[in-house]
Amino acid sequence: MQADIKWLDDPETFRVNQLPAHSDHCFYRNYREWQDKRSSLKQSLNGQWKFKFTKNPMERPTGFYHTNFDTNDFTQIEVPSEIEMTGFAQNNYINDRYPWEGKIYRRPAYALRPDDKQEGSFSQGKDNTVGCYLKHFDLDEKMHGLPIHLYFEGVERAMYVWLNGHFVGYAEDSFTPSEFDLTPFIKDKDNLLAVEVFKHSTASWLEDQDMFRFSGIFRNVSLLALPETHLEDLALKPLVNDDFKSGIFNATLKLTGKLAGKVRVKVQDEEGKSLLDCEYPLAKKLELKDEEFKQIHLWDNHDPYLYQLLIEIHDESGQLIELIPYQFGFRRIEIDENKVVRLNGQRLIINGVNRHEWDAKRGRAITMDDMKQDIQIFQANHINAVRTCHYSDQIPWYGMCDQAGIYMMAENNLETHGTWANADYNVPGSHQEWLAAVIDRARTNYETFKNHTAILFWSLGNESYAGEDIAQMNEFYKKHDDTRLTHYEGVCHVLELRDRISDLESRMYMPPKDVEEYLKHDPAKPFVECEYMHDMGNSDGGMGSYIELIDKYPQYLGGFIWDYIDQAILVKDKITGQEVMRYGGDFDDRLADNEFSGDGLLFADRKPKPAMQEVRYYYGLHK
Amino acid sequence: MAYTNKMQVVYGTESLGVHGSDFSYIFSYKFGGLISLKKKGKEWLYRMPTPTFWRATTDNDRGNGFNLKAATWLGADMFTKCKEIQVTVDDHHFTELPSGPASDKFSNEETAEKVKLAFTYQVLATPKTEAKIVYEVATSGTIKVIGHYVGHADLPELPVFGIRMIMPTLATGFDYQGLSGETYPDRMAGAEKGEFHVVGLPVTRYLVPQENGMHMATEKLTITRDDTQNNADHDRTPFSLTVEQDQKPFNFSCLPYTAEELENATHIEELPPARRTVLVVAGAVRGVGGIDSWGSDVEDQYHIASDQDLEFSFLIK
Repeated sequence: MQADIKWLDDPETFRVNQLPAHSDHCFYRNYREWQDKRSSLKQSLNGQWKFKFTKNPMERPTGFYHTNFDTNDFTQIEVPSEIEMTGFAQNNYINDRYPWEGKIYRRPAYALRPDDKQEGSFSQGKDNTVGCYLKHFDLDEKMHGLPIHLYFEGVERAMYVWLNGHFVGYAEDSFTPSEFDLTPFIKDKDNLLAVEVFKHSTASWLEDQDMFRFSGIFRNVSLLALPETHLEDLALKPLVNDDFKSGIFNATLKLTGKLAGKVRVKVQDEEGKSLLDCEYPLAKKLELKDEEFKQIHLWDNHDPYLYQLLIEIHDESGQLIELIPYQFGFRRIEIDENKVVRLNGQRLIINGVNRHEWDAKRGRAITMDDMKQDIQIFQANHINAVRTCHYSDQIPWYGMCDQAGIYMMAENNLETHGTWANADYNVPGSHQEWLAAVIDRARTNYETFKNHTAILFWSLGNESYAGEDIAQMNEFYKKHDDTRLTHYEGVCHVLELRDRISDLESRMYMPPKDVEEYLKHDPAKPFVECEYMHDMGNSDGGMGSYIELIDKYPQYLGGFIWDYIDQAILVKDKITGQEVMRYGGDFDDRLADNEFSGDGLLFADRKPKPAMQEVRYYYGLHK
Repeated sequence: MAYTNKMQVVYGTESLGVHGSDFSYIFSYKFGGLISLKKKGKEWLYRMPTPTFWRATTDNDRGNGFNLKAATWLGADMFTKCKEIQVTVDDHHFTELPSGPASDKFSNEETAEKVKLAFTYQVLATPKTEAKIVYEVATSGTIKVIGHYVGHADLPELPVFGIRMIMPTLATGFDYQGLSGETYPDRMAGAEKGEFHVVGLPVTRYLVPQENGMHMATEKLTITRDDTQNNADHDRTPFSLTVEQDQKPFNFSCLPYTAEELENATHIEELPPARRTVLVVAGAVRGVGGIDSWGSDVEDQYHIASDQDLEFSFLIK
């Protein structure tokens, strides 16, 4: 198969040769590797890559993936990083409009007329910057001879991949993993990986989030070697019984490879006491059904108790060939007959924040240290919940929330604000041509993160209006997961879809008296403010009026403050020589929504704003 | 001085001096206010205190258009015109100012137990109204300062009402008894009561410089400096000025900038080098709001109505 640049224009082409999404489990050869947190089955490709930037597809070096291509004019780039933050392309912050507003006349394919394909819209887009990445690598010796997968954790916004001159695949959906099989083309030594990253494709219509518009390989890239038999997917379903004391453990394992030998599944409590230890012969699919746990320790924000699952895969000789550790908790989320959300039988109160991934020096290419600090800041200020606005976050964040007891509203990578707020060509709307792409986003979000105890809500996306396609996303989650609730705010614009979209009645920035109006009149659904207390500049006044409603109305779930951290970029000021923060419009970028990028409870350097003491107080009242 | 339990009053031709063992105040008829406030030989005023009406536009103010509605207060904040001065020494109220030839009948031995000066300012908003600053000096040197705003129904709501004092040099810091952190009427629930020391005059680093640094419900504030503009003063021993509550706690901000300087900058680094101390003691503070930043107003109870008189007081010690 050959790569086709026209895929950029086609909303129905969003993954080519991409492997199906699966759970985010790590795998090791043995216990020693797990303890050392270093798997010999994984090789990082992070670091310096060869790089060529061009302003648009027409100028790109076609054929750069050939092993004999002359790369004399290539420079270097750090992976992961944002192309804009490394100085190749202009920074631009824009809130709810598309970044080409006023520059290029562009409409979503099929949105205005059924036959309107908008050919060339992106493949010939003058604004569509291209990053051509090259990485030479030798395969780690311990991975020789094994099937090899290539694993991107995040690339904005569309990419084509080649290995040793062979086309490997194509992917969109910037914020979820994209995985490809390199086995047919990989060599032990002297491999050439080529990745062509386009800033825009039809995916751009689906990623109109309120943020700096970056592009590039901005999260980790690694190679994964699959042992002789490999756990491909793990689906855990720990259930809490009505007595809230006992539980039932279910798990489905999907395996690939030789499938000769056996698998041992163990569950231990925090003290290392064994609660389950059983063996099965290897098979393509294994189901652990209704394993009873007589006495369970429930998981919640106050006591994020996790059990340790260990899956050992042994070959025919009994040798351990793969170890999969995973932590999970028992918790139960439901809506009672009075429309009150209950976690483990108790009323749930959300003291939440919306969190963009942000680092003032690195943009959205945040570090583990940033994430660790964020957990500490949450805990110090009684923030018990996070909405991953408005995309899937880096994988480690979900496990950190499991461990810290941070309730998650896990949101899909979806926002199409500019297609309806001042326009009426909404996508995905009810367009068949856009359906598969958004369902795929829901599937990838679900499959990747389904085992995380911290996720209580799946969120279908943000500010994308509502139509049949979003209704079907809701159905996807309902069909695959009966242990969590769904959330979507935009259905408030399309009342006839209310019964099909979102278990919660959700609003953003609704004033306290209007929230009370809803709650007073026999609410049909529990109510949440998915965004409230807009913390732009000197703000967060009047928070008490929202918090009072928590005591008055059990159907009020609380809310997620907008937002956690300012999106501002640290630069050296040419005049004063000081390191200073810059916001939208400070890079000659037009159109820009200026300081609207800074609405955080933290400044962009992670120092709390003065308002944090108010948040700490009010969130402390219902912690 | 002959009478230690009394102050010396100096009747100048265009000013009134009030002096004690460790203080020395000069009220100017010409400029229309307190022109010199010296404690233990150190000057505390760069310019005379004036009523203040403007706060640097917050993002929420901009979002809901409050800055546009209240724009007239910006001019009123920058420019003040003194239109009337009343002087009372002990129980004698001067119907005519004791200035010019009318001051010639006094000597260098004049004393008093209390001196009161009331300055009435024309507030140059549209429409115009009036504000007053009254100083009552006691023999201890304590000045009771009263700020008064005369309500006018046709004026927009006020961004703030207070008295601004600009001090000649940058403070090294301040200590206060009140609430922790930066507080506003609608954002003070989370603050802890206590005594706090602040190093320097920090400006909260909001992306766009704006109103910041307010401290609500304060009982006592001590500002410390170690430098003067006096070319003959080489002493760098720290010295302090204290503001205390009168009948009720007061609100203040202590920053190196005026509201206008903050207003004018789009980034922190555009602010001029910090060189003075700007103390605003505020009688009425508008809330900051927070429902959203594109239209929602501050909650009703945190507005400052313009149609009613406002009055507050504090003590300078």
